[in-house]
Amino acid sequence: MSVIQRLSRLLYVLSLVLAASGSGLHGRNNSVSHEYCVLGAGPAGLQMGYFLSRSQRDYIILERNTGPGSFFHIYPRHRKLISINKIYTGRRNKEFNLRHDWNSLLSDRPDLLFQRISQELYPSADDFPRYLSMFVKELGLKVKYGADIGRIKTSDLNGNQGYILTDQNGVSYQCSVLLVSTGLWVPQQVDFLGSDLVEGYESIPTDPEEFKDQAVLILGKGNSAFETAQSILGRASRIHLYSPSPVRLAWQTHYVGDLRAVNNELLDTYQLKSLDGLVEGRLEDIAIVRREKDGGKRRTAKKRSQTPTEGKEQLYLTLTELLDDQNGNNISKVTGQNLPGYHTDNFSLRQPYDRVIRCLGFRFNFSIFDGSARPPQSSGARGRLPGITACYEGRGTPNMFVLGTAAHSRDYRMSAGGFVHGFRYTVRAVHKILEQRYHNIAWPATELSISQLQSWILRRVNEASGPYQMFGVLGDIILLRGSYCEYLEEFPLQALPQLSALSGRLLSDHGLLVLVMQYGLNQTDTLGPGRAESEWTKAWRSNFLHPVLYYYNTLPTEKDMRQRPVSWPLPRPEAVHHMVEDFLTEWDQPISHSQPLRHFLEHCLQTDLRAFYAESCFLLSLTSRTPPLFCRQGYLRKQGIVGNSHLWQHAREAGLMADHQGDTSVSEYLKHAGAAVVSAMNFDL
Amino acid sequence: MHRRGNRTMCIVYLIAFLFSLTSEQCSSKLIEDSSQSFMERMHTGKTSFIYFGNHGETLINVLQMIAEPLSQCAKLSKSHLSDQHISVSVNCSEDAIANYCTGEKLMTKAYLFRGSEVLRSFDIDTVFDVNAIVSHVLFSVLFNEVRYVHTPAELLRVESAAKQNSDIVVGHIPVLGLPEHRALMEAAFVYGTKYQFVQTTGTLVLKHMGVVDPSSSQAWLWFLHCKGVSRRSDPCPSIPMRKPLNTINIHTFLQLMEAPLTEAVLDPSDVDVVHMHLGVPVLYLFSQLQTQQLDWATAQTLALQLRGEVGVVVIHRDGPNVKTSLKYNAAYRLPQEDVKYFTLNSAEGVVKLFKEELLQEHKFEDEEEDEEHWSDLDILDDEVSESVYRDRDLMLDLESVIELTSDTFQITVTQNDITVVLFYFKWDAVCMAFIQSYIEVADALEGMNGVKLAAVNCGEWTDICSDHNVTSFPTVLIYRPMAAAQLYKGMLGTKSLHRFILLSLVSNPYLLSSSAEVMSFLEGDLYSKHMYLTPVRVLGLFSSTHDMGVTSFEEAARLLRGETILGLFAHKEAEQWVEGLSVNLPALLVSRSPGVPYEVYSLPSSSPTDLVSLIKQVELDRFPELTVENLPWYLELGKPLLLLFIGKEDSTESMKALAEIKQLLSSGQLDSFLPCWIHLGRTPVGRSILEKYLGFVPPLPVLVMSRLKTGEEVFLFPPERPLMAKNILQWIHDVENGQEQPAGLIPDGKWGPPVPFFDFLAIMDQEAPTYAAQRAPKMKTGGREDHREQKHGTPNQRQTPHPSPNPQAPRQHSEL
Repeated sequence: MSVIQRLSRLLYVLSLVLAASGSGLHGRNNSVSHEYCVLGAGPAGLQMGYFLSRSQRDYIILERNTGPGSFFHIYPRHRKLISINKIYTGRRNKEFNLRHDWNSLLSDRPDLLFQRISQELYPSADDFPRYLSMFVKELGLKVKYGADIGRIKTSDLNGNQGYILTDQNGVSYQCSVLLVSTGLWVPQQVDFLGSDLVEGYESIPTDPEEFKDQAVLILGKGNSAFETAQSILGRASRIHLYSPSPVRLAWQTHYVGDLRAVNNELLDTYQLKSLDGLVEGRLEDIAIVRREKDGGKRRTAKKRSQTPTEGKEQLYLTLTELLDDQNGNNISKVTGQNLPGYHTDNFSLRQPYDRVIRCLGFRFNFSIFDGSARPPQSSGARGRLPGITACYEGRGTPNMFVLGTAAHSRDYRMSAGGFVHGFRYTVRAVHKILEQRYHNIAWPATELSISQLQSWILRRVNEASGPYQMFGVLGDIILLRGSYCEYLEEFPLQALPQLSALSGRLLSDHGLLVLVMQYGLNQTDTLGPGRAESEWTKAWRSNFLHPVLYYYNTLPTEKDMRQRPVSWPLPRPEAVHHMVEDFLTEWDQPISHSQPLRHFLEHCLQTDLRAFYAESCFLLSLTSRTPPLFCRQGYLRKQGIVGNSHLWQHAREAGLMADHQGDTSVSEYLKHAGAAVVSAMNFDL
Repeated sequence: MHRRGNRTMCIVYLIAFLFSLTSEQCSSKLIEDSSQSFMERMHTGKTSFIYFGNHGETLINVLQMIAEPLSQCAKLSKSHLSDQHISVSVNCSEDAIANYCTGEKLMTKAYLFRGSEVLRSFDIDTVFDVNAIVSHVLFSVLFNEVRYVHTPAELLRVESAAKQNSDIVVGHIPVLGLPEHRALMEAAFVYGTKYQFVQTTGTLVLKHMGVVDPSSSQAWLWFLHCKGVSRRSDPCPSIPMRKPLNTINIHTFLQLMEAPLTEAVLDPSDVDVVHMHLGVPVLYLFSQLQTQQLDWATAQTLALQLRGEVGVVVIHRDGPNVKTSLKYNAAYRLPQEDVKYFTLNSAEGVVKLFKEELLQEHKFEDEEEDEEHWSDLDILDDEVSESVYRDRDLMLDLESVIELTSDTFQITVTQNDITVVLFYFKWDAVCMAFIQSYIEVADALEGMNGVKLAAVNCGEWTDICSDHNVTSFPTVLIYRPMAAAQLYKGMLGTKSLHRFILLSLVSNPYLLSSSAEVMSFLEGDLYSKHMYLTPVRVLGLFSSTHDMGVTSFEEAARLLRGETILGLFAHKEAEQWVEGLSVNLPALLVSRSPGVPYEVYSLPSSSPTDLVSLIKQVELDRFPELTVENLPWYLELGKPLLLLFIGKEDSTESMKALAEIKQLLSSGQLDSFLPCWIHLGRTPVGRSILEKYLGFVPPLPVLVMSRLKTGEEVFLFPPERPLMAKNILQWIHDVENGQEQPAGLIPDGKWGPPVPFFDFLAIMDQEAPTYAAQRAPKMKTGGREDHREQKHGTPNQRQTPHPSPNPQAPRQHSEL
């Protein structure tokens, strides 16, 4: 019995005890009703719990285990989190620091951060459930532990589709809105001959000594495969990684789900020819066969006693087609002819293995959903995830939303929606959608006068963590309304066509701006020359994460969205502005960042957005019927920016401010020279 | 100052050039002015052009520079010029004329005086080049020769006067003193007797002349054929000059206007017309005896259409020297090229041919301009950003300002009687410009008890700024212990903020308990305590403390803290303060300064905020001096402005004018206007306003009516009329009846983007044509993940072992 099976059985028993005591208190009433049911007390479930609790909704978080984040009690198997916990950023901006804190959940408690638990850059996995427990406790979230939901079905609640969840004790939970944050628990398997001979990542021993001098074949090239390889690198004799696609490096793809450099020691030993290696090939075509060591035909029996491992079976990788006999049936006894090395003498994987380990990732548990309650499989991610809409609602399952890692099909292999540092923001976005849809509370918006827009955009660009982590997925929306605008933060971009319905904010005919953080075309070598662009006029060729603004006259339609340019997050806009990537991610320089942004905004708003000193506004207010916006929204509202002679001098030298005579005057001179100067009144106030 | 002069042994001369333009020639005299002679010159009332400088290298350069324009001027001078005197004086002194000879301005400015009034000052680098001197000097000399028009109506009047008499040359000069201006002025010198010259700076005239983009600061010149109009009701045909405004081009253009059509009996290559020498294309039309009249008519039409750009020559084919083949009926010759023959089908075809060739040249120029423009993209075009950027080396000394953090904010704002907190962004130029003023205020208030100035960098302490709902930057909040933060709503400048903080320390309202105290508040000891902050006192008068309005008034006073000094007198004696006035208690008494009669208003019972606006309204001066800091309060009234510009010296004339208007005001005859005045000494930007209104600065004082909200016209009180109440009323009356011509216009220009925007989409389309294109509807659509999957799907298949005969497949050991 594997560790996990044992563990879950233990937990099951435990939860039975707990559930029994709980139901005992409530008598025999086996039905509970809540407006919101959150399924799973992992990071996504707790994050949603926090927002529901903050908006004082009737909610319950259901968790089958006895504590939050139980996934992290088991995974990652080698107990090192690869999510960055960067405590020192040189900055004290709390929002900015979240850009480099990948483990904390969002809350209004400034100190409820993961760094209270661990100071390690790559913390221990045990710390994460501890952090989650602290999060639950300090925020007083309502979590019901030990409720193992085995069945979910739809039910009609006053004409709306609701859901009924039944736990292991037969207690049923009636929910108007179901928020599924169950994570991914089911190990992904591929069916091939001999797959029963393969060990799973979920159950392999983690003590490297158990792999001493063993040849190991690992199926998969993701982080779990490499993490496993890295752990046994000092003990195993030979480690081969086999999977269909070549290894993808996170530092090349900017996708944190790809191989992280923390785990990639095997690349070193491969490239330096230290007996490890990577091989590509389809998983469905292979077979793993068992053969005794030196399983070939023996000529003599002489050396039998000299074989210490004699009788121990070894595993060979072969192809299904080689195992078929003439009738197409699988043969029972494997001979050398059934192995590829017999046909191709230098076949890469011709040597036998002591162990074959499957590290192919995890899939969503669809089995607990009854027919109509079951979301379809996603089209991407090999169908491992539920298919969901742009606002994270299950396709065909209204009022059921999917959160957390399970919701990664929206940005699979593209952004950070499958990871804590990404989905904490999508959860926040979904919560805002819930507030609008079920409680008619519009998406929060900051009203800004147009003259403040540029500095507000710069503020977001320089500190906002949501669009930075969920690049290309969540973006800020600026609804232009003439002299002012409404600024909506972190809206799911794919849902843009339904902006009004989802946010409760109406569009005006002034159009809208969308601020997105994006990586670039990435056509160059990530570490090679010319990888970074520093010329703002070539900003659209930026390769690293940089802000991009889209301007639309009217809201893009679903069709526009579908037909958007390849690899773009949004359809072709009326005008676009890329702010050139910055080595320090500080987009605040006047020539390269602010002024080009201002020119873009001026184009979109068709107005002059330059700032003017009070004196210039004075001149313009008296000599123009409509002075520039800055003067109208500042000076004429008695908030002009006066400046001082030192600054005016600069502006005059630059030829930007009018020079009106010297401040000397003849009369002053005449006074000085003793001439008769007539002054009947004193006008000094 | 004196000591430095002595120490450096700097020999300073007072020299003046004086040249006078007489009826025959330019004679110039170098006048060395002493302070005494300078003084005298000031009182002669003549026009003089004066440069103040030290003797030395610079002077020699200056002398050389001046010598040239003077000699040119001699050549150009024409008999019609009057005997005005223009003296160009280069002088300086280390003692008396201190204002001109000291400070940074020395050697950087020259001045055009009329009497003692500075008409204009010029930066030396613009004025001491030949162009500028000539244009400026001629500009003043020709003041009466060249007609200045500001509106189409004025131009039409000049036109009708000139019809059948002389042709008109109209020049539009956006910036005075530039080479274009010189060129026009020189042309006026040369051709002044022949044509009527008109100069304009107004954009309305541009529109009238059919310029599409009047906002571009381009110079224009038109020739109006008024002499040849057959009937006086006909308009004068106008021809724009399409080349840049310079002397040669104007000369060429005027020459072309003279003789558009020539006849010849020579072969085209032998014809010598003036056009060839002027570098202008020539069109040759062949005429036959039979169709001579028709050909001549065609030629005339063409000549008229192409006038100014192409010379037209009619060649009589029957001449013995004409060898052109009969298959061509026309030819043209571009400058420095050979004659090209072609067949003319229609007159339009020829016009098109020429216009397009000419247009092409124009396009070429435009493109060049564009390129230059893009290279300027890295220059900041915002005065605030640029001035702050120029200070990027400057370390701001924030010593006197406490930098707040999340940890110190709460403690700090509760510690002092008043904590002023500035919320700012480092990257925001407006914030950084203001922070300089803020530091100046902090420095000025340093050591003052109970007041602390602090700042929060919102780029770092974003949480503080969000918690205090600061969404506009810069924001100044005033914190007092146990009270809600007060937003500072005044001008973001040193003076205003400083005054506001000091006024905030004054208890508001002052509770006055006796008439003696009231007296003291209005003009006694209580008054003088804060006299330097504001001269205005507002007093709430109630018959008793139980009056309903008292609490409301007290609340309003709190809201006005920092802006107005209010007194509260709730007492039975209050009655005697309104005695004899047509107002009952409760009342509001406003004292503008001691000695000036109080104004009294009745005080309706209303909410504190209504009271605040009422108090603010009554506080406004009825005949204010407009300054940069107070204009918004007065513009809010939305009335047409009756604006008196007063020179730097407070001359008797100015004082009289002010008094005359005051008299009108008190008689209630100006109620529909906002009478106000600008002192050019204290508000030098007023000069630019005059220039924008009128195109030039007339002798001061000058009265102008500007209807900012209701119309676009600016009216100028006729300078020759004395500024008397009676005349002013008459003038206002005339203006209102449409009997006065506007002297200028206030443009209703929309403030569009100041520069073309950098179109990334266009560049993408050019450099990567499919990159920014929407996908075709037929393509398989779907989310990005599909696309990604497809993309890496291909290599998979390539490396997939084929199920059939090749057993070697899985060896795809890709050495990445």
